[in-house]
Amino acid sequence: MDSSHEGWLPDELGDLLARVTRPGRYVGGEFNLRRKPGASPRIVLSYPDAYEIGISNPGLQILYTYLNDATAASAERAYCPWPDMAELMRHHGVALWTLESFAPVAACDLWGIHLPHELTYTNVLELLDLAGVPLHAGERGEGDPIVLGGGPGSANPWPLSPFLDAVFVGEVEGRLDAIVAALGASSRAARLQLLAAVPGVWLPAAPERRARRQVFMGFSHTMPVTEPVVPVLEAVHDRAVVEVMRGCTAGCRFCQAGMWYRPVRERPVELVVEAACEALRTTGCDEVSLISLSSCDYSGIEEAVRRIRALRPGVRVSLPSLRIDSAAVTLARLGSEQRGSVTLAPEAGTQELRDAINKGVDDEQFATAVRATFEAGFTGLKLYFMIGLPGEDDAAVAAIADMATAAASAARAIAHGRARVSVAVSSYVPKAHTPFETAAFAGEEVLRRRQTLLRDLMPRGVRISCHDVGASVVEAALARGGPRSGELIEAAWRRGARFDGWTEWFDVELWRAAATDVGVELNALACAAPSQPLPWQSVDAGFEEGFLTLEAGRAASRQRTDDCRRGRCGACGVCHDDVSMDLVG
Amino acid sequence: MTYWLLTFARRGSASYLSHLDTARAWRRTFARAGIDLVLSEGLRPKPRLALGLPLPVGAAAEDELLVAEVPDLAPEPEVALPTLAAAAAPGLEPLAVLAVAERPRPQAVAADYEFGLAADEGAVAAALQWFSAAQSTPVERVSPKGRRIVDLKEFVTDTWCRAAQDGVCVGFTVRHRSTGAARPQEFVSLVADQAGVEAVARHLLRRRVVYTGLPAGFAGGP
Repeated sequence: MDSSHEGWLPDELGDLLARVTRPGRYVGGEFNLRRKPGASPRIVLSYPDAYEIGISNPGLQILYTYLNDATAASAERAYCPWPDMAELMRHHGVALWTLESFAPVAACDLWGIHLPHELTYTNVLELLDLAGVPLHAGERGEGDPIVLGGGPGSANPWPLSPFLDAVFVGEVEGRLDAIVAALGASSRAARLQLLAAVPGVWLPAAPERRARRQVFMGFSHTMPVTEPVVPVLEAVHDRAVVEVMRGCTAGCRFCQAGMWYRPVRERPVELVVEAACEALRTTGCDEVSLISLSSCDYSGIEEAVRRIRALRPGVRVSLPSLRIDSAAVTLARLGSEQRGSVTLAPEAGTQELRDAINKGVDDEQFATAVRATFEAGFTGLKLYFMIGLPGEDDAAVAAIADMATAAASAARAIAHGRARVSVAVSSYVPKAHTPFETAAFAGEEVLRRRQTLLRDLMPRGVRISCHDVGASVVEAALARGGPRSGELIEAAWRRGARFDGWTEWFDVELWRAAATDVGVELNALACAAPSQPLPWQSVDAGFEEGFLTLEAGRAASRQRTDDCRRGRCGACGVCHDDVSMDLVG
Repeated sequence: MTYWLLTFARRGSASYLSHLDTARAWRRTFARAGIDLVLSEGLRPKPRLALGLPLPVGAAAEDELLVAEVPDLAPEPEVALPTLAAAAAPGLEPLAVLAVAERPRPQAVAADYEFGLAADEGAVAAALQWFSAAQSTPVERVSPKGRRIVDLKEFVTDTWCRAAQDGVCVGFTVRHRSTGAARPQEFVSLVADQAGVEAVARHLLRRRVVYTGLPAGFAGGP
């Protein structure tokens, strides 16, 4: 027997691990894992999806590193168990445990759950249930952890409000010390009271008190995470990550992240290069990704790529979110000796529609970028589009096929058949705190018809993949939901909805039935105009009153708004006394 | 070019890694330790590092073999060992490194395993007696390549059992032949079926692997 390590894992967990797929998901053991036995308060961080997805989330890495390395608290992790494990846990009465100590999640002081998008919301309930924590915040007592939601989902905290004790709105880095301090209070009620006083915290139990979105202005002079937890299992992202910039000034009207993470802040090149080299050393990765919402817009991008490549020859430097121009393609070439594929996101097929969504790219720029991609030797070009945008018609959808046809022709002419073009099409879902927050969702029938139209028009040789319309309908039903949305989520979860972001698990019929359970029709709910006042007014995103309405009006009249980094200030109102753009140089 | 024969133990959380994940963890360990590996040639070069014999997911091991190709400028093995130990993932413990000039070609011939079973000792002993007495013990193996019948009698020898805390500890040896080898879980399932218990092996451990093709006197060699 393995006597030297007997007892490291309780036998009851070991017996479960022997029966499930990928047991390595549940045992931790990663590089750079932190253990702080006996530390108080004990905080658990969760991502409501499978381990392989959650471990790749850079946001949780920031919180995990800071809490463990810079506060008295211990931060441990738990991800959503895969259905085979969940079934066994329920059958054997085993409660969710953390990867660091194998102690029950339910015994922690604070449970921070990241809310990345609507299709993970049933997994939040799954996590709570598997941990043995009462589902509804109102049923929790003194021995239960405080469940704090955060992340992009906090833009509209209502759908999950029945299940959360508190929601942190915005970027939490600057408030972690205050949150840890609040957990020192002697009773649950006192802890919640102290938490409520932390800027950015919204309590569903006191919804009339608006929470202002927090902006971390220490971003530019804070070292990125250089010693992240590195999975030993294969995860979705197998590379070191350095966040070079937060926020985006492009002002795309459909993009919630672009609105939500304003204003733009950049890290100095020196810090980025140092962090990249250190992260490559501590992770053992041979690739570093310089991440942000639009890395090509980072002022020091070319210098950072050149210097990292000079210091670590052979290392690949990847840049997600490429701008559509030839300079961006050149930059992608600079980052790697290998010529894989390039992804460009024109988002819409016609100039008129691109102007409406404020996507600053014209046909000439697109053609130039496509030519540059193939001339640089890249063997793949992936194009991202959305359908169902406000103001879209069938002709605009047909124009997507025209752009794909033009790209495929360029691939044939320049790469002589060695390069492939693929098209990914997602369905637009209007989101809170964007200029389209009150726009109508296109609806199931329209989206299906336009997907069919697009498939029919797509030229031979171009691979097209379309997002599941059913999943978009669910996303739309929840994204702008109000206080009663929680009922739908709970009904769906009780009917077995889990891992809704996974095509193999998503079942729209479960959601339709759940909607019927709560007395609504799913597609009608998704297409309904949001109630007034808008539920997410509980959250103050920091915009000047009327800014989003003004932007919506400019969209309707196809007027572009300048990128405020280069052009006129759009007067969104986010920049004020202690919050402002923070650019390199 | 130098070849390193590195022996290591795999315990705790690392026991739940697959063969490919274990290899990836070791490549990452070398990178974290700042020890370069020679890259393969081709379009997508990969570090030259190979594990002697795949370990089943869920199995700990006391003495595994890894062959790595390092440049001539690599540090001395005795210097590298503590560096690798410090850089390794929890549960992966390098035990010894031997540098050789010629490419070793290890070939596993036998491996000793142990596992625990929540069962009555008498029932397990009877199952092992049945196995010893049987002329053949065919089991069906299902893989992505299809189904095939494997006779465990051809590959499993030296079985034993003893009482242990919460059940029975069972030991056996798998012979690796040109025709293949038994998978440890196949024998676990067979014994568990015969003993009338669920085939859940506790603390599966590979104690030792015997190789040919290694330098004489190398630990783990014949």
